[in-house]
Amino acid sequence: MKKILFSGLIAGCILFVLSYGGLYLAVKFFPSLFTEYNNPLFNSDGSRDLLFYLHAFIFSFALAWFWDRFKGMFKGLPLLRGIEFGLVYSVIALVPVMWISFSALDITVIMVLSWLVYGLLQAVVAGIVFAKVNP
Amino acid sequence: MRHRFFLWGCPVFLLITSFFMPVNFNKPTGTKKWLICENSNLCVNGTTNINKFSCQIAAYDHIDTLTVSKGEKEIVLSGTISLNVKGFDCHNSMMTADLRKTLKEKQFPQLHITFLSLSELPGLNAQPAFITGMVNIEIAGISKRFEVSYQITEDAQKIIHLGGSRDINFSDFNLIPPRKLGGMIKTRDKLSVEFHLNIKTIN
Repeated sequence: MKKILFSGLIAGCILFVLSYGGLYLAVKFFPSLFTEYNNPLFNSDGSRDLLFYLHAFIFSFALAWFWDRFKGMFKGLPLLRGIEFGLVYSVIALVPVMWISFSALDITVIMVLSWLVYGLLQAVVAGIVFAKVNP
Repeated sequence: MRHRFFLWGCPVFLLITSFFMPVNFNKPTGTKKWLICENSNLCVNGTTNINKFSCQIAAYDHIDTLTVSKGEKEIVLSGTISLNVKGFDCHNSMMTADLRKTLKEKQFPQLHITFLSLSELPGLNAQPAFITGMVNIEIAGISKRFEVSYQITEDAQKIIHLGGSRDINFSDFNLIPPRKLGGMIKTRDKLSVEFHLNIKTIN
């Protein structure tokens, strides 16, 4: 349990910096990719900002538990284990969620694909961290 | 004796009472009616940290009347135009829906512009004249008074073109400019409102 919490916290901090730093830079340098977010589907009054920024930690603690439960199935170097972990997470969780999101919400293919890639990269980074901290 | 009283009493009575009459008792004079034609329009321009937006109510779908009369120092303009928030078109369905939500369209389906005064009424012709005037703008149930810059012309068909512009803030009306993704995408508080009224003089 302690290992799950510790590795989750470490991964959470790293993901927080990389995810929101990356998002900030993406908004700054590729603004046209984000114009579709001016959409009432997305919360606009700031009331959920805290929840938005906590996502990195919710994500990393959930994945830390998943890693601890199935880490024996991921073999090889930390980088390879992280990539495989990220791909597994994407196939079993992200793809179905993105599918239902696109089918039900008024969002674009580009938006859904960007979320898929973003989630995959986050899971790969988390997997590498877990492979190092909780091998 | 009675005749003398009527001869002197009446003028003296009128002279005295005229000092105590309301100032605008004999004003305003020369009242005119301005009919706002249906092809008038309103445009709202704003910016976010990633793009600009321009939302129009392209065709004003009412016929309203403004009354113009000469006041003490300025031209008194009275009348209100009411615009349906649903009529805004930002040329992007998502932005249009977002603006309507920000303006609380479900709660307050109309915004109102009440005309109050003009600084002067210049001789109308094809040459644009620049004047100012006061208006009340009511958005989302909050009413604020603003000075508006106008450009006024009259074309060959005797249609008066009254163009007005004014910068306002979302916060003037207790509205929160939209912010997305934890504030990474922010709409700036300032909005530029421009309107163009095509007017026919009735009398």
